[in-house]
Amino acid sequence: MRPKASRLLPVGVAAMLATLVAVFYYPVGSVLSSAIYAGGRLTVDPLVAVLGDPFYTGAAHSLVTDPASVPGGVVGWIDAGMPRVEFGLFGFTAYQALLSTVVSVAVGLPGAYLLARFEFPGRAFLRSVTILPFVMPSILVAVGFLAMFGYTGVVNDLLGLVGLGPLELVGTLKVIILAHAFYNAPLVTRLVTAAWESVDTRRVETARTLGASPLQAFRDVTLPQLVPAVLTSAVLTFIFTFMSFPIVLALGGLELATVEVWLFSRVQNLALAEAATLGAIETALSLGLIYVYLRFEATQISAHGEGRTRARTPLFVGWRSLVDPRRVGLLAYSLVAGVLFVGPLASLVIESLTTPDGAFTLDYYAFLIAQQASAAVGTVQPLAAITNSLLFGVGALLLALPMGVLVSVVATRESRGSRLAEALLTAPLAVSGIVLGLGMLRTLVFGTTAFGHRLTITGPVVIVAVHAVAAYPFVTRNVTPALSGIDDRLVDAARSLGASRSTALVDIELPLIVPALVAGAAFAFAISIGEFDSTVLLAEGVDSATMPVALERYTANRSLGPNLGPATAMGTVLLAVTIVSFVFIDRAGRRWER
Amino acid sequence: MTTTDGNSKGADNTAVEITELGVDFGSVTALADVSLSIDDGEFFTLVGPSGCGKTTLLRSIAGLETPSRGSVSLGGQDVTDEPPEERNVGIVFQDYSLFPHLSVAENVAYGLQFHDLSESRDTEARVTELLELVDLAGFSDREPGQLSGGQKQRVALARALAPEPDVLLLDEPLSALDAQLRKELRVQIKTIQRDLGITTVYVTHDQAEALAISDRIAVMRNGRLQQVDTPETVYRQPASRAVAEFIGDNNVFEGNVADDGRHLDVGGTLVPLPEGGNRAAGQSRTVSIRPEALSVTDGQRADAPTLSARVETVEFLGDAYRVHCRWNDRSIVVKTAATTPPEGAVDLQFDAEDVHILEPQRSGSTRSNSVRQGGPSANQ
Repeated sequence: MRPKASRLLPVGVAAMLATLVAVFYYPVGSVLSSAIYAGGRLTVDPLVAVLGDPFYTGAAHSLVTDPASVPGGVVGWIDAGMPRVEFGLFGFTAYQALLSTVVSVAVGLPGAYLLARFEFPGRAFLRSVTILPFVMPSILVAVGFLAMFGYTGVVNDLLGLVGLGPLELVGTLKVIILAHAFYNAPLVTRLVTAAWESVDTRRVETARTLGASPLQAFRDVTLPQLVPAVLTSAVLTFIFTFMSFPIVLALGGLELATVEVWLFSRVQNLALAEAATLGAIETALSLGLIYVYLRFEATQISAHGEGRTRARTPLFVGWRSLVDPRRVGLLAYSLVAGVLFVGPLASLVIESLTTPDGAFTLDYYAFLIAQQASAAVGTVQPLAAITNSLLFGVGALLLALPMGVLVSVVATRESRGSRLAEALLTAPLAVSGIVLGLGMLRTLVFGTTAFGHRLTITGPVVIVAVHAVAAYPFVTRNVTPALSGIDDRLVDAARSLGASRSTALVDIELPLIVPALVAGAAFAFAISIGEFDSTVLLAEGVDSATMPVALERYTANRSLGPNLGPATAMGTVLLAVTIVSFVFIDRAGRRWER
Repeated sequence: MTTTDGNSKGADNTAVEITELGVDFGSVTALADVSLSIDDGEFFTLVGPSGCGKTTLLRSIAGLETPSRGSVSLGGQDVTDEPPEERNVGIVFQDYSLFPHLSVAENVAYGLQFHDLSESRDTEARVTELLELVDLAGFSDREPGQLSGGQKQRVALARALAPEPDVLLLDEPLSALDAQLRKELRVQIKTIQRDLGITTVYVTHDQAEALAISDRIAVMRNGRLQQVDTPETVYRQPASRAVAEFIGDNNVFEGNVADDGRHLDVGGTLVPLPEGGNRAAGQSRTVSIRPEALSVTDGQRADAPTLSARVETVEFLGDAYRVHCRWNDRSIVVKTAATTPPEGAVDLQFDAEDVHILEPQRSGSTRSNSVRQGGPSANQ
């Protein structure tokens, strides 16, 4: 609406789109196109090869290879008393995602009830900690679970003290699903708590005065506002766990492989064509799921309602707390949740400080610092991994911050811009890190021909670019609400006082969104520090390995020692960096909420 | 579209010249080809119901809205294509819009960095001077969050005045304040405006506020000017039924001119018309009469026109009663200074001179000096 909008904006948007094309759309497009384009012509052969392979689609493969046999096959199956059917790799991936979603919702919902309806010391802290999994590297969580449930892990150590065990838990679906719940239950809790807190107490009170019992008022007023949040978080959890990679890789290996893990192993075996087809199918599935998610999200009632939040009930009311079944239930839940969420992280730290015999040691940390001159060729250097992570993190932050702010400015300044921004923000979510990493390998790393020159970009530059693409949506998600929360008239007032549009942006708008910028920057840094999926493919050489890559290598390569020592020590360092980022996000975020 | 209108007054004493200005928001016309000129030093008020286009017009003067047609000149300079920062106007918004991260003094000083002050004064002295002007001396180091609504608005006023703007624009500056404070601050604004002699355009939806402080008023409706004149003329001689009903309490009746040409037949009762002007019998006419022009009597003045009415509801106003009556199946409101509330059947008496004949629709701009209506259907 304002006249003479800055000419810098179109230039910035063009630069950003060019960057995205180079490091996102072109690489990803090259992967997707190879699924339908081979030997210079369009073809369905690669898709048919994958979808018609019982290994991938199980019993459903005949839908592709021999559709005519399907009705007969179904009849035969019913005649045989409906025995267990295998649905192959895709079926298993969906199955574990579904189980993970059910468990995450089951663990997350009581947490939302606790946080939204009860007051107790540390409630605000717990509520803000639910953001932590967003920034916690999943390979770190996987190593935490190994430290807790592994053969020499904390659980088996404790069982050993009472003469039981040891149990072989790693490599079972149970541990994978628990690790997924660790990741996604806080997401459920967070979204549902926000929806619950946005329920206007006056609506509940009105229902009560009209004759509804507390239960009826909950059913008629509160529940309809919670259901969209539960569905949204469930769909999001399903998407995340369907595309889960490091947790399944570290805790399940190839025996419990999901599509993403198998895709990774195809790339490692240099079966790039098959990997690309697999990636295309996976991307199509995740786009479909994200469409469902966006539909659900649209039905969400805004959490920033005008209404008053209902007063919370004290959780602890003296000894009576122990006879109230509701409170006893919540306390029991808190114990279970405490073990699930604190256990793996505590185990990580404990294992990093103890020898397999249980004695205290700092050897693993010494290993991190020592120059590994004598280490075998191909071993990731720990100190280099730490510096790489920090450097890439800063690089990604410097790239992601302007990108994210630019998208926010476009989204808030023009009505058309918000749709474009939404599309720009959602695309990276739909494409798995493996697919992006594979695309980068196929294009920039192996080289591409443009304008008659052969371009090859490798190493740190590619990794930083990939991290920035993964991170900038988080900058935007922090900055957009802050920017759109600024009253337009502040800018109007500044301009009538003589400030140009860009001066007003610098003088007025930017200072007011500093907290959001800090939170967004910390997010970007944390995303970069934790990024594993693309990095593990792109950091093939040991020189540009990062902390998460080193973690995975140390976990997989037991030649370094009989236990997880080096991995847990590295994991503890990564955990510390993550927590520092989280503190920044939390502090800055809360300053804005006030 | 950028040429200055040849019919305008000399640039010497015209501060703001609006020529056939139109603003469209998509398919909605917010401002329909309005022309208007505002004199130097004048306190000019745009008044009308919400959505009438008054704020759009004000924002167009400031350069915060992009006109679809027409031009804006400030001090004889066409500024239609100039951004707000090139126009040297000061603006004050309803919700203060103080910069929350700057102190009071920093807010007031903000505009000074972009302007060369006319006299050689330093920023600090200018800020002090302005804070004294708005009775906020000693508030320099406060944060906006520590101020009351009235104090915030006075800081906003000081901030707008600091760079010595040519025109001061006030967009409903008092609407967020409570009634008592509103009256106090309105006097303060008027005093400051007169002392500085600064051309001021004031937007309000409150017709009483408009009458109280303005040199001239423009009544707006549906993106068009209805009447532009002094508060007295707008009040006493409204140009249209819409103006008559918007400005102040009023009783508006329709009827046909009686055979004698000197009375209006309103539902069977003959209401005398004021002197002057030929009115052909049978013509349809609309008249208005102010509540305070009617008196509640027992018919003491035998010669005065009398309406026999019945009291329905009485409101006590402190210094008077507002009496809602029923007359000829119509509502009629009377304001009386009587010490006891009237009741039952009453006679309402008035002078024929107090009956105001509203010009028929499409009458053009006969009552507005210096107004050129944009379209033929200015009064809908």
